[in-house]
Amino acid sequence: MKESVVAYTLSKCVKCMKCIRACPVSAISMENNRIIVNHERCTNCGKCIEACHNQGLVAQGSTLVDIANYDYTVCLVPPALSSVCQSRENAEDLFNAVKLLGFDEVIDLSPYYAKVLQESMAYRPVQKPAIVSMCPVINRLVKTKYQILIDHLIPMNYPAETAAREIREAYAARGNVGIFNLCECPSRLSHAKYPYGNTGSEIDHALSIADIFPMIRTNLGKGRIPVTFCRDGFAAMDAAMLSEHDKVLAADGYDKVENVLDLAEFGRLKEFDLLYLFPCFNGCSGGQLLIGNSYLNHLNLQKLVRESSAETKQIDDRYLWRDGFMAEEDQRSFTEKMSFFSKVNEVLEQLPGYDCSACGMRTCRIMAEEIVNGNRSLGDCHILNSGTREETK
Amino acid sequence: MTVLLHEEFVVTRGDYKNAGSVSSAIKDKLRTIGIDAKILRRISIACYEAEINMLIHAWGGLITMDVSDDGTVRFVFKDPGPGIPDLDDAMTPGFSTASDDAREMGFGAGMGLPNIRKVSDDFDIQSSPEGTTITLGFHL
Ligand code: SF4
Ligand code: SF4
Repeated sequence: MKESVVAYTLSKCVKCMKCIRACPVSAISMENNRIIVNHERCTNCGKCIEACHNQGLVAQGSTLVDIANYDYTVCLVPPALSSVCQSRENAEDLFNAVKLLGFDEVIDLSPYYAKVLQESMAYRPVQKPAIVSMCPVINRLVKTKYQILIDHLIPMNYPAETAAREIREAYAARGNVGIFNLCECPSRLSHAKYPYGNTGSEIDHALSIADIFPMIRTNLGKGRIPVTFCRDGFAAMDAAMLSEHDKVLAADGYDKVENVLDLAEFGRLKEFDLLYLFPCFNGCSGGQLLIGNSYLNHLNLQKLVRESSAETKQIDDRYLWRDGFMAEEDQRSFTEKMSFFSKVNEVLEQLPGYDCSACGMRTCRIMAEEIVNGNRSLGDCHILNSGTREETK
Repeated sequence: MTVLLHEEFVVTRGDYKNAGSVSSAIKDKLRTIGIDAKILRRISIACYEAEINMLIHAWGGLITMDVSDDGTVRFVFKDPGPGIPDLDDAMTPGFSTASDDAREMGFGAGMGLPNIRKVSDDFDIQSSPEGTTITLGFHL
């Protein structure tokens, strides 16, 4: 069973079902008065966490105590965290503050993001348009829902993963090296903690920026570590800047992204070379675990682009590329699929069709599937039970 | 051969705003059943092109989908006119008669009919001034 970082606390949950309704892939349900996350379906988009106002669901990262277990520790800082800074000086102060948490070294990921952008631009796909592989949510979404487009994904590692692989080899002589990654969103946190796909992750611990930032803040103003940001690394996170490139379609925001994927499935976007998609509004600088306002972060990003260097870093191909993506195949025969579908439709006819989630399922269809699977019965439908449907008819 | 699932969808004339919504609904339905992605890709492309054709060249129309127990999906796209004046021209890649307003909205590159024929397993088209009927078959 795959796991995800979406963690549930029963005592904080008021059973409002907001998370169930918020999940775009119907991965959440309520069973025996508890929220259950179906990790096979979950894309770690974080919509449920956003919807919960009671801390019932949170993104759970590692803690800093793990630093003590290693001979040498490095902390990977994503460009999204730098985007909370208004200038390069502020960012250098921030890097120092991160190091003071107890790390031996702090590494800026902007060159790795830049590399994803440059390699994606040069990529010649079998199927146009290619889909940039930089966000774990997009990869999961394509693998589970938009399976038609699997061959379109560029088989590249995430920037933090590429960096971790490179560091692991380069620092082999330093003993037991601990690689920590500050994460701006639940999906990156999840990739590092529970990597899905064919290979594991070289990242040892994923830290939630939201958890760690209060500690970082107390270290601000105590010095600076010089950082040479890589310009393309910031440009690679911003839909507006990316759209300036010819033949690139960049979109941010979950609905827009689904719209674009839908059109791509119809074969309608062949005139584009690349799809650069961010499920978060304002791209990675709108990451859910970041502090600050995503609009302001986004402005900072543009400022940082001007203060960064155009130089790029050499990164070996063996860290950068990964095996292709595999679809999660449905093993049932056509007859089995159709008979299940027909049974579900029969049950669906009897349900009210309000998609009210009161039963603990996101939609009546999901409920019907559960009934056919024998996990629920028609009697679990609150509307049918209360007779409301008859009255409204 | 028994029909396991029969669905009908209406395409409304000139409703550019919802262009593709029927194809999306069809795609979602087949995805829910669990149809293989490779075939779903071809079905999606064909339905979208045919739906857009109804919208910009014809006065809307009706789309029916039948999934049968022998593993075939059959689509009928039926519009009430005005018909295709020269079918041979229309079947030539790149030939387009899309109106200016449709072109402005990005439709009408002229790949419609040849594309539909290319991706479908069975293809038939009948056209007269009373309307056009396209029948498509896919083997799952
Ligand atoms: S949103 Fe979900 S987890 Fe949060 S209180 Fe409501 S039911 Fe509980
Ligand atoms: S993280 Fe996203 S996909 Fe996962 S359960 Fe929450 S809303 Fe659903």
